Amino acid sequence: MSRQGETTVLFDALGPKGRRNANIASVISALVIVGLLALAAVGLAGQNFFEASRWINPLDALVVENTWVPSIIATLQAFALGSVLALFLGVIFGFGRISQFGLTRWVSTGYVQFFRSLPLVLLIWISFTIDGHFGFTTGTLGWSGEARRLTFLVVGLGVYNGAVLAEILRAGVAALPSGQAMAGHAIGLRHGQVQRLVVLPQVLRNMLPAVLAQLVILLKDTSLGYVITYPELLHSADIIGSDYGNSYLQALIIAAAIYFVLAYALSKLVVLAERRLRKKTAAPLARVKQIEASAVAD
Amino acid sequence: MFDNFDSMSEALLEGMWTTVWVTLASFVIALAIGMVLLVMHVSPAPPARWAANAYTQLFRNVPLLAILIIMFFGLPAIGIRADNWVWALVGLGMYTGALVGETLRSGINSIPLGQAEAARSLGLTFGQSLGSVILPQSIRVVIPPLGSLLIALVKNSALVSAIGVAELTARSRRLIEDTESRYDLWGVIIGVTVGYLLIALVFSYLVRIAEKRTAFVR
Repeated sequence: MSRQGETTVLFDALGPKGRRNANIASVISALVIVGLLALAAVGLAGQNFFEASRWINPLDALVVENTWVPSIIATLQAFALGSVLALFLGVIFGFGRISQFGLTRWVSTGYVQFFRSLPLVLLIWISFTIDGHFGFTTGTLGWSGEARRLTFLVVGLGVYNGAVLAEILRAGVAALPSGQAMAGHAIGLRHGQVQRLVVLPQVLRNMLPAVLAQLVILLKDTSLGYVITYPELLHSADIIGSDYGNSYLQALIIAAAIYFVLAYALSKLVVLAERRLRKKTAAPLARVKQIEASAVAD
Repeated sequence: MFDNFDSMSEALLEGMWTTVWVTLASFVIALAIGMVLLVMHVSPAPPARWAANAYTQLFRNVPLLAILIIMFFGLPAIGIRADNWVWALVGLGMYTGALVGETLRSGINSIPLGQAEAARSLGLTFGQSLGSVILPQSIRVVIPPLGSLLIALVKNSALVSAIGVAELTARSRRLIEDTESRYDLWGVIIGVTVGYLLIALVFSYLVRIAEKRTAFVR
């Protein structure tokens, strides 16, 4: 069914008059939108926003080579390391929360609830501050400042998103009909075997879109490196913009556009995964969709 | 450990208060934007749908921190100036508004087609079937995801410390970077953690009450 069909069932199929009205509404709304954009463009042009030099200067070949490209690499590096850590922690604590052992359950629940209610920026910034408080230097630790800032960013991203992913996986287990695990027990599998052979594969399959959607958020959250001056995209754009005083806004907008492209590409991957991997498991689709929708909030 | 406890807890309480009102005010803005987006999403005019889609994609794929930095530090370059708390509310509101719009839309879409068909075949008009059949049901569906958006907003509001709004994160930062270093690092860290946990606890309690109030047996 098309999206169209989902949202227009409330209307009568439009008659000639209704169609004419809808067309008029289309034209008017198009005019309003174009008008607003034009108004904004004229206003921006009046402030020399579109002046070519303001866009070309921060995109100078030397700047691209020395700052933009390394900053994109730094962003992707933090993203890759953060995702690996988050997935690792997510699986451990997600299954820890439904463990047979009370202590494991208790610790995992504590971890998830604690880190899910703290802002990520606070986690990243606190570890950075503790480092500064003790006055660690490259000399005392044998670990350069930039590597330490990367570590704080990655650990923050991993610990926070690990808690979110744990919750997603737990919800995925809950969405699986209990008959699946019962059937596993009935044919004589042990608890661990049931989890490993029956539950986990289906949960991973079901929750892959939700997990990937969370990874898109993780990618965007690498911009928090700005707060601890890790040379990722946003921080580098800030520096480039300060170097070319007239292009400050333009440099930030270029960075935002790069974020947009990266995040949009990754979210397209989510849609692809959704089409490929849905079906084939026992969990009801509506429930899975619901988990996904609530996961996007974090 | 808790040196100068009185002034520390006073500063943190003020920060908590700022966090709470920034969250609530920007959530109201987000709800308003979300409803406008919902109307645009379901409108019969394609340009309105495209515009709503473009807005949603833009704000879903650009990091919130980048949006806030562009607004507060970038826009003065083209002559648009406002106080930092204004940008905090506008930035958080516009960002969360895109998510609210999506939530509301999936809420309406989650109502089975048969409901609308039944209403229509009983002879209810568009307004009646929307007002007394679809919306009452979809409100119940969207309350839980809207609740998690609100709680996510509490955490996202910490980002406005980057543009100098004195909410909880910014306050704790000032305490730690105090020029006379009157406050102990660990004391402040425990304080700010407890502050956020308290806010999260209270908000999730309120969300749970709202969920219970609107829950119904099908």
